[in-house]
Amino acid sequence: MADLVTQDRAETAADMPALAVELHPGGAGWCVRADNLGLELTAPLGRRVESLLRVTVAEPGASDDNDGDVPDISGDHELLGDGVRFIPHLPFEMGVPFRAILDLRELRQPGLTDVKTLAFSFPEETATSETEVSHVYPSNDVLPENLLRFYVRFSNPMRRGQAQENIEILGPDGTPAADVLYRVPVELWDGSMTCLTVLLDPGRLKRGVGPNRMLGPPLRAGQPYTLAVGTGMIDAYGRPLRDGFSKSFSVSEPVRKPIAIEEWKIRPPAMDSRVSLQLTFPRPLDWAQLWRGITVVSESGNAIGGHIDIDPGETRWRFTPDAPWQGGLYSVRVVPGLEDICGNTPYGPFDAALWSTGEMGLETAVNSISFEVKVS
Amino acid sequence: MNPSAPSLHSRREALGLGASGLGLAMAGSVLNAVRAQATTDEPGAPRSAGPLQSAGAMTFGPGNVLFVGDIAGSAVHAFALRDEDLTPQTGVELGNFHNFEGVDLVRGLDVKLAALLGTTYDNIVINDMVVHQPTGQIFLSVERGRGADAIPAIVKVNRGKLELLKLDGIPHSKISVPNEPDQTARLEFEPQQVYAITDVKYYKGEVFVTGISNQRFASTLYRIPYPFTDQKATTTVEIWHPTHGEFETRAPIVRQLVLEVGGEPHLFGVYACTPLVRFPLAALKDGAHVRGDTIGELGYGSNPVDMLTFNNPFDHKDYLLVTIDVRGGMQIGVADLATAPPQPTGGPIDFGPGGLGKTQRELPIRAEHMAMLNSRWGVVIWRHPKTAHRLDLGTLMSPYFFDRRLGMSEMNWPDGPDPFDYRTHRNEIDRV
Repeated sequence: MADLVTQDRAETAADMPALAVELHPGGAGWCVRADNLGLELTAPLGRRVESLLRVTVAEPGASDDNDGDVPDISGDHELLGDGVRFIPHLPFEMGVPFRAILDLRELRQPGLTDVKTLAFSFPEETATSETEVSHVYPSNDVLPENLLRFYVRFSNPMRRGQAQENIEILGPDGTPAADVLYRVPVELWDGSMTCLTVLLDPGRLKRGVGPNRMLGPPLRAGQPYTLAVGTGMIDAYGRPLRDGFSKSFSVSEPVRKPIAIEEWKIRPPAMDSRVSLQLTFPRPLDWAQLWRGITVVSESGNAIGGHIDIDPGETRWRFTPDAPWQGGLYSVRVVPGLEDICGNTPYGPFDAALWSTGEMGLETAVNSISFEVKVS
Repeated sequence: MNPSAPSLHSRREALGLGASGLGLAMAGSVLNAVRAQATTDEPGAPRSAGPLQSAGAMTFGPGNVLFVGDIAGSAVHAFALRDEDLTPQTGVELGNFHNFEGVDLVRGLDVKLAALLGTTYDNIVINDMVVHQPTGQIFLSVERGRGADAIPAIVKVNRGKLELLKLDGIPHSKISVPNEPDQTARLEFEPQQVYAITDVKYYKGEVFVTGISNQRFASTLYRIPYPFTDQKATTTVEIWHPTHGEFETRAPIVRQLVLEVGGEPHLFGVYACTPLVRFPLAALKDGAHVRGDTIGELGYGSNPVDMLTFNNPFDHKDYLLVTIDVRGGMQIGVADLATAPPQPTGGPIDFGPGGLGKTQRELPIRAEHMAMLNSRWGVVIWRHPKTAHRLDLGTLMSPYFFDRRLGMSEMNWPDGPDPFDYRTHRNEIDRV
């Protein structure tokens, strides 16, 4: 469903040339149609058809920003007997004021000297709820000194381009702490544009690397900090956030050891039930990777369908199967490179001493846990 | 497309309802709202975007093949442009080379892109610019919108006019990046992992793709044979800079190019903050963890914008040029790229620059994007230095890459001194 708003400025008799916005009968979306041109439009019109019916953006930018030679909207023209239709290459954008211009002089017929215009737009659909930060992960309020990233989730889809100016870490004195966050070359959004990855500067996290030696780690154990998200983050509807958001946290000692899968606690479910399989981790794991980094497979190696829940704190992962558990052996498989909140993996810590190729422990790390479903 | 799109009959009804504007007897400014049963105006990939879901880094290969990195579609696309997709720009003015005077090719580029694509200038994002060398035609990868519903477009410049490249009829192939292992588990992958492609380059039958993931923190480089094959021929290489000391960590390569130096092809990458790193191509094998040699620290606290080479028209030597966001362009001799020793590790704290960064020459280029048009001219997208709110596409002469027109120097006055013989050469205009 979409609203179309047209703004009429002229009185026109029914048999006079007329402009209209309509849905293309062939399914090409909204287009502009000129009718009653009073003659059969045929090939001799040639490229003049592009001047006969044009559609423009009413205000693409400030008028002194260019030399006046602003293009029309890119589109195709279809000849329709005594009419012509303009089909934009990109669909008309909601909220943008357009103007269709029918320049009858291009027909080169005596008496046809009018230039008719039609203003139209499609009002922007706006989500009913205002946009806010809905969650930040990790969800704990005590975070290790070598924390690698935050995920900031928003209640509505967002637009790109505002993160660097609006997301910062406030230091113990409440003022922005410089060079704590990594300036990524591309803002790291998920496909739905509701989840933004915010990295702490890896050059400051890794001991011995230049920025670390110059500036030290981005966070200091024992100090309080705040992740602040400003209202200048713009949602998909062009609106700022309802409120700024802040997450205060204190900083604990760094964690520089591999994920030890053998230390995970597993609570196997009972046969014929749909009770969830539960894994408990000794320390928080990366929230986003937990959704995709752990799978459950049967003894024959087939993946089991189901859904995942992650408890606050990111130390408990629960898997509820679509179908009741059948008796037998299963295993929990962990993807290579699953990370904790500091970027440590089962193969090694994020910040380790120099390794050479072949010493990464790829062969030795545990990456699955077996369990058995029995009659309860 | 839309099963409920109105037939011609219902179109007539719609006209009668009053959406037809001029057909109605209405005086003054009257707003008519008509609710139409349709979904075709909803955001979606238009025909003009062809198979693209987003449009990012671009490069040309042989045979007029345009490669486009598509972050949203997790793919690199290859469009084999046809003759009708390209227009030789023969005769287009590029400026007065002798007098260091460039020209504006498109003034108000963002406003004009907005007008072409049906939006406002603040909703236009220009992701990359490449030049099709045989025709001299400039191509831009653009997105209309900044959200999940952003619509990609490839726009070409034809004698100062912007034209949409209609992709739907162009012979096309693509390869998924990264090639995820078969995932048969029907789990709810709530926050999608996105591999953000930072650069795409072609070299002798292969496409090199660099980028960063929003989840797993690892710099990954894909080496993909072209033409793309059905086999999963993607070579995945993790580039790992473990050496504590001057090396960067697992940050992504932001810009890259492949050059033959010392008789062997090498991939040169520039990272954020801003090491220049050399990898022999032969070392970039499937599954390998390759440690690059940092041969230059181009300066701290900055990000590379573009990376290209040019041949200096005066000394006829090849140079690497890296444009940097908070600085200008950094110029390094290509001959030095082969011989530069790796920077030592473990030394004292050094704000740099180091290695080739110490001998780099800074050029006065403040460009959002830059490419070479031909042997004498570069092309830049820049905020016009005197009207900073305006985004322009214009030329700069090689190898100095500045525009005399912007200077307020003595020799710009009509009766001023003329040490460079500007007046003698005043009418010497270069053309494509």
